[in-house]
Order: sequence, then C-alpha cells, then structure tokens
Amino acid sequence: MLTIAIAKGRMQHDALELLGRAGVRVSEEALRSRRLAVEDEEGRYRFIFVKPQDVPVYVEHGIADCGVVGRDVLLETGADVLQPLDLRIGCCRLAVAARKGLKVEEAGMLHVATKYPRVAAAHFGSRGVPVEIIGLSGSVELAPVLGLADCIVDLVETGRTLAENELEVVETITESTARLVVNRASYQLKSAAVASLVAAVSGAVNKGREES
Amino acid sequence: MARTIAIKAAVCGVSPEAPNALLPSSARVIAKAHAAFDTRGRAAFLFEQTMTEPLSNIPGGMRYYFGREARLRRAVEDAVMSVFDGWGYEEIAAPAVDYYALFERGMGHEEARRSFRFTDTDGRLLALRPDVTSAVARAAATLFAQASRPLRLCYAASVFRQRPRSHAEWKRQVRQLGCELIGAGGEEADLEVLLIAAEVLERLGLGYRITVNHAGVFNGLAAQLALADAERESARGLIDTRDAAGLQSFLASRGGDGAGEAVPLARELARLSGKREVLDEALALAFDDGRVAGALKALERTWQVIETIGLEESFEVDLGDVSGLDYYTGLVFRIYVEGAGARVGGGGRYDELTANFGAREPAVGFVLDLDAVSEVLLRGGVFGVRGAGDASSSDVAAGSPGERFREARERRARGERIRLG
Repeated sequence: MLTIAIAKGRMQHDALELLGRAGVRVSEEALRSRRLAVEDEEGRYRFIFVKPQDVPVYVEHGIADCGVVGRDVLLETGADVLQPLDLRIGCCRLAVAARKGLKVEEAGMLHVATKYPRVAAAHFGSRGVPVEIIGLSGSVELAPVLGLADCIVDLVETGRTLAENELEVVETITESTARLVVNRASYQLKSAAVASLVAAVSGAVNKGREES
Repeated sequence: MARTIAIKAAVCGVSPEAPNALLPSSARVIAKAHAAFDTRGRAAFLFEQTMTEPLSNIPGGMRYYFGREARLRRAVEDAVMSVFDGWGYEEIAAPAVDYYALFERGMGHEEARRSFRFTDTDGRLLALRPDVTSAVARAAATLFAQASRPLRLCYAASVFRQRPRSHAEWKRQVRQLGCELIGAGGEEADLEVLLIAAEVLERLGLGYRITVNHAGVFNGLAAQLALADAERESARGLIDTRDAAGLQSFLASRGGDGAGEAVPLARELARLSGKREVLDEALALAFDDGRVAGALKALERTWQVIETIGLEESFEVDLGDVSGLDYYTGLVFRIYVEGAGARVGGGGRYDELTANFGAREPAVGFVLDLDAVSEVLLRGGVFGVRGAGDASSSDVAAGSPGERFREARERRARGERIRLG
C-alpha cells in the first residue's frame, strides 16, 4: 500500500478530484469523517491530510511514499524529494507586492514581510538588493499597510486580497502549481506501485488538459 | 542536605516552607517526596535545570547510543567488517582530523564545505573528516605508492558534517562502513564491490535494492549538448528530481544548436529506471557517440553478470540518478533498504580521485551508513543481537572482597560472563 500525503486547504479538493479521475477514489463518508488517515475504496492507497508545509517532511522521511503539494512549498522547504509530475492544479504565482507607488530603487534597505523567507532571501539575494526579511505566519498583506514592511513576498492567486489592501504586484518571482512528489527510497523499493500511480495521474492530467 | 530536600519538595509541589518543618520527624513524608522525585518529578527537575545549565544540552545532530542500540551497532559493524575481511580487504584507520585541502580535493568544494573547520597552530585550515575516501585515496597515492596492486582496504569510521544535505539527513556524526578497491579497473572490479554490498545487506537480513548507473551517460550527454555550468546544474536538478516535463521544456527552450542527436536520450533520462529493458531503450535512443554508448554498454555488461548470478530482483538500472556525480567516472550505485526513507549507502568508480594526490589509478568503493541501517534493524530486523543480561551471565556469590574477586577472576579466565552484585 502506498501512503499519499495531501496538503490540506487550498488545493485539497482539486487534488482529490484529480486523483478520482485517475481511478484513486476515497469514499465521501471517509472524507466527511474527521479522521486524518483514510484509505481509498480499493485499499491500494492510504491518504493522510496534513498542513502544506508538512507534506515534504512526511515524504522526505518516507512516512508518506508520495505527496501532493504546491511548488511554492517545495521551494521554501528545499525538500529533497522527487517531483515526477506537474498536476496543473492550484495555479498561482509567488510575487513581490508593495503599496501602490512605492519605488523599490529608492527604498534603500527593503523590509520584506513573508511566509517564504528562503524564497524571498534567494530572490533579492540573486539581484544584490539588501533586504531585511520579516518572517510572518499569516495575514502578510497587513505588514505594508501598517508600516511593518515595505513590501511582501506571497502567493498570489487572483490578486483580490492585494487589491483590497491597496497593494499591487511589483514582480512575479515564479509560477507555482501542485506537484506529485515521491520519496527517493519508495521510488526504488515500491517502483511498480509508484510507476502505476504516476502513469494513472499523468493520464488524468493530460486528459483534463485536452478537454479544457 | 536541607537544600536538596528543598529542591525535591519543590518539584513535587510542596511549598518552600514545608521541608524545614518536615525535617526533624516526618520521615514518611520525606520518603514520599523521594518517590515523587524519582518518577514524575525528575523530568520537571531536569527541565528547570536546562534553563540555567546548558551542560545538559547536546548540540544539534549529535546523540548518545546505549543499551540495545549500542550492542546492535557493534554487532552490525562486526558483521560488515567480517564480510569485508572475507573478500580480502584490510582494515585501515585514517586520521580523524586532517587538512581541509585534502577534503576539498577529494570531495569537491561543495561537499567539503559542509565539514567542521578550524585552524592548526601554524594557521593552516583543518577539518574534522567529512569522509574517509579522500584520506584513503591519498594513502594509496603516497603511503602505499610502492605496494602491489590492487589494494583492498576497508574501514569503520565516524565522519562529521556541520550542515545536513537534507532534513531527513540531519545527523552531524555518522559512522561509515566502507571498502575501496584501488588499482583495478573494469566491470569485474565494479562487480566485486557491488557483490560485497549485496552480501553485506543479505548478511544483515535486510530487504534491499541497489540502483546502478554510469556517470558517463549524463556527463557524455551534457558534453554533447554543450551545456554551460549553470545549465548543466539545471538539467541535473530536473533529471535528479524526475521532473520529466520540466526537463523536456528545458531542452526545448535551448533549441537545436547542432546538439540534436543527444536530445532523444537526454529528454528521457528522468524516467529511465527499471531492468534490462531500460538499457535496451537507452541504447536505441543514444546516437553512436563513443562516450554515452560506451557507458551504456559497460552497464549492460555489468547487468549481464547480475542476471547470470540471479540477483536482478535486488538490482535496478536508474539512469536518472545523476546527483553528486562529479566524484565518479564510471559505475555509480545507491543502496536502499526496506524501512528506511532515504538511501543508506552508495558508491561507485572514481578513477580521477587519486590523480589529485599525484598518481592516477582506477578505484571503486562504497560506504554504508551504520546509523541508518541500525535504525532499521532496531525497529524490527531479523539480525540477532544478544540481550544485556543473557543466560550466560551470572552473579558472583557474596563473600569477603578477597573471595569474591578471586572467584570473579577465575570465572573470567574461563571466559564466563559475570556480573558483580
């Protein structure tokens, strides 16, 4: 049996729907329950639902063989996992946003509030911009409004939250979509099961793409 | 004394004034305080102490081994070393502290930088060894320059790394069990080392899989594609994480600048893992370049022998295993065991390494991570380890110290396990 860690929240529904199209189905009853570990209808897979940033942790340690998680989380955690498939769901971008009218060049030392300190440091570091990273765990949009930071690095899906807080995207750092990730040891030791999952999900992704 | 009782009373919730009142008479309450201290009180007491007393802290990534785990580690190490000995490998102990330059040459800058570093009295940079192979290669080129070849050397040694490579690999001290075959080239030497690895894993009763690849496949393709250093690392990252779609768009974005012949195989590397059919498919895709096709044919010859001796179930060809290849010049292999979430060892051929120390010669070897293997066995392996108080150990009878120790010495001389009461 393969254990698959699914990131709770934003992309959980889309991920389960995609897996369903790939023939991996979890009963409605199991999903409605408050259990954190459920099995699929055929007993081939066990799903665990964890916070997005914990998905790479479970997969890297081999507690989960596979996982579904956003590329943003993989970049931030620097997890050593295999990423055989782009699931093309949960599309969004990691972007720098600031109050309208802020001139980044004139800010001197930039104060950057973010839930992605590693991504932010790497982004500004690669262009030699001196920054102070202020790590937050939520409501990052508030930081520039209240003057805690000059700008933020955050996930942007529709841009509505930004607009409502009078922020605008200054630049996109990278695009992010959900990935199927696989533990390195499971990829070898359970190669047949992993390969059949990858093939089935890959088929569902491509089919969805042709239809849309 | 009064202070000790005050502390003990405090941890089990008695008010600070109470102990003095208790002191003269109520032995029963004191006994109760002792009991509480020894059970739930101790944790709270130790915790309070750590707030002010850093000595109880252990630096991150370091740990103690004791009891059953320590015995198991010893037994595993002995079993592995006896396999090495059985194949004619001589144990070598290398310095634990050596010049940083040695490791920089032996492992490459990136890996060596993970070591603990400090300076010698003359100002030269030293490192706590982050690997053993560098020192063995140097010994082969210097100390054993005149010795007859091939050299067969093995070791059991702790290595130290300041920074982990991944979250799952957080330990800073790891005990490596390894062997090196120096001065012998070709697939036969490769197979010798592969089969030693297989025997070690079988001896330990582990379900295992060894993946094999050849450094010449990726390196040859990168050369044909004329990848610049940064591009090469991007391609390596995409192949290593099996990002097949990312790899294909990377190759497409580079366009066809005369390197088109390498593309058909390069774009498939991320998914080429399996048995013999993988080699057949790769050979069909490889255009007839000496280096890439040569590497694939060498792998095919190795695989042929693996099949002949009936080990193909435990082995797998994995052309997508391209991480950390710079060290290797030929065969590369990784060891995975059931129950471990990360690889537990690996090795390969590194014919250029000894050249760094003045004399180029073929070499192949591997290491097994004792910590990772022991953790798996500790959680439920079949590999036997004796218990702490096994039947053969018995207490020495009471008596005067002279009698007791005379009996103890006599019984020890007969090889009995004893325990003084």
